[in-house]
Amino acid sequence: MPALEDVAKKIRESAKRLLAEGRAEVVVGYRRGTIPLTTAPFFARTAEECDQLVWSNFARINLANYLPGRKKVALVAKGCDARSAVGQVVENQIPRDELYVIGVPCTGMVDNALVAAKEPRPIREVVETTDDSFTLKGEGYSVEVRKEEVLRRNCRTCAHRTPKLADELAAPEVPGATPDDFADIKALASKTPAERLAHFKDLIKDCLRCYACRNACPLCYCPICFVDETRPQWLGKSNDPMDTLTFHLLRGLHCSGRCTSCGACETVCPVNIKVREFNRILELTVQKEWQYEPGLSWDQKPPLTMFQTDDAAEFIK
Amino acid sequence: MPEYIAKKSALTDFFKALSAGRRLLTPQGAGDQCRLAETAPDQVKLDYVNTHMSPKTLFFPQTEKLMAFHKDASKPDANIYSCAGDKAVPTVVFGLRPCDARGLSVANKVFQNDRFTDPYWKGKFDQTVSVGLACAAPAPQCFCAAMGGSPYGLTGLDILAFRLEGGDLGLKAGSEAGEALLKDLKLESADLAAVFNSQQAAAIQAQGVAPDYRPIDEANLMALFQDPHWLSTAENCLNCGVCTFFCPTCHCFDIQDEQDEKGGVRMRNWDTCMSWLFTVHGTGHNPRPSKTERVRQRFMHKLKYIPLKQDGVRGCTGCGRCVAMCPVNIDIRAVALKMCQSSAPSQA
Repeated sequence: MPALEDVAKKIRESAKRLLAEGRAEVVVGYRRGTIPLTTAPFFARTAEECDQLVWSNFARINLANYLPGRKKVALVAKGCDARSAVGQVVENQIPRDELYVIGVPCTGMVDNALVAAKEPRPIREVVETTDDSFTLKGEGYSVEVRKEEVLRRNCRTCAHRTPKLADELAAPEVPGATPDDFADIKALASKTPAERLAHFKDLIKDCLRCYACRNACPLCYCPICFVDETRPQWLGKSNDPMDTLTFHLLRGLHCSGRCTSCGACETVCPVNIKVREFNRILELTVQKEWQYEPGLSWDQKPPLTMFQTDDAAEFIK
Repeated sequence: MPEYIAKKSALTDFFKALSAGRRLLTPQGAGDQCRLAETAPDQVKLDYVNTHMSPKTLFFPQTEKLMAFHKDASKPDANIYSCAGDKAVPTVVFGLRPCDARGLSVANKVFQNDRFTDPYWKGKFDQTVSVGLACAAPAPQCFCAAMGGSPYGLTGLDILAFRLEGGDLGLKAGSEAGEALLKDLKLESADLAAVFNSQQAAAIQAQGVAPDYRPIDEANLMALFQDPHWLSTAENCLNCGVCTFFCPTCHCFDIQDEQDEKGGVRMRNWDTCMSWLFTVHGTGHNPRPSKTERVRQRFMHKLKYIPLKQDGVRGCTGCGRCVAMCPVNIDIRAVALKMCQSSAPSQA
């Protein structure tokens, strides 16, 4: 396993080179967070600023989210994020030649909720040197945690950990994990509509309508989201369960065949809603109907953004 | 005023007496499940960090019906709005953290002042006895002292409890009502000033050296407003509503009407200045068109506008929720330091 500092060094070197060559005007990466267990998205425009770039087990935010509309940008990207960036190019949100991807083969990012469950005492400091473990420190204790035990759910089933379409890699390639078997989704599909409605209502019962899931999502780049439309207003704004559920269902449908399971939505949710459940249902459908996985080709469009006269369309009844 | 002692062996009796004629709400559950919930007097916990959401939800819920009407034409009040606010219940909240009590007192001045009284807030707020529990061991995200508060602060509290060696609770009145209540409870009185002061000093010290944010108070408003740092400060902001919804002093709401075939309601829902929709005009013009203006608004409101309106009291109480919850680690302490550096006089 590579030392995190070695990866960071490579990222910084590439960032400086790209800025010096004029290939990029800004490098979007991560800097250290101001509190333990976090990093922050960071925009480096000078060689000096590049020195703040880090690599970490807590680099969870999908930075492709910052791409639409930018020019001459270099992106530090995990496997999932690079696939999102490819998606942005395929969906015409950024021209390919304005984008340079510094790919980082990734062994998964940490779910802070799992860390808190393992170590409920206040955490004052995190020491991380490699990508397979880290040390938590607090009042009178120091505990080593193996990353494998606290990985985010999406990272545990990530088959595309190495960003193969990246312009360069900042670390050696890593093998993918065993893909999602969708067992829970298949079990859910066998339930009655009433049971499924109850399940989804329970899933979103704590939702605050803060829209962090939407705003952290690199697929949600609409200038005006349907929930923010006022003429007409499509959706109620209260915590009424059907209005809240409608938001999640429609967002899920908008993302179908485009989601790369980066997990940003679940990472940012302040009330720990398993937002990806909506996306995974559609991911399964798209894989089955069109044998398509997003972000693996620079020119293949997501099936639900195209129309072909020879579409089987057997799912329309 | 003397302090009082609730003995460890009689804590259940203390909570029983405290909640006589009132429902008792206390923090229950751990971590992000920790919330104020109705509690039996023998089930009160003292070992939580803080509630996940701020206690403003008690008086200012995410969604609140203000008025309602029905469409039953056989009745004389068909299609006429009547008041539909949440019913206020006499309540005692035990376990508020001093940062949150201070936050409630800031929000209270927004909802009840010499210009307006919000009946929905007032009904619930005025029927609530606020009892705090001092923070002997501040959490890593805490910075109440830097914002002018104290982990043993009394602002916004009727009573503040603090833990004594051996498991007894020390009790100090923060208001006249609190003092009267403590007298009624027939507790042992004692002079605990020395213990209180030394515990408070240790707790403040445990938060580390507090940065001095006073340059913001002294700075020219327009100089703060026009400082170029807002561009970079806002660059990674997602413009979600997490910071505002978790903030104990954020109080903005949106009023909405909804109706169906049976009737209708007018309600208010939490709104957030981080949203594009928050300021867009009917004409389509938006005075805060990008996230730079929106992020600036939030921090200027917390650290400059509220102090200007509330005699220097800051709109941030250092509870640390936005710091802990921000998906992209926009840390109000770092922003405040940037604001401290932009105190040059304005050219405008």
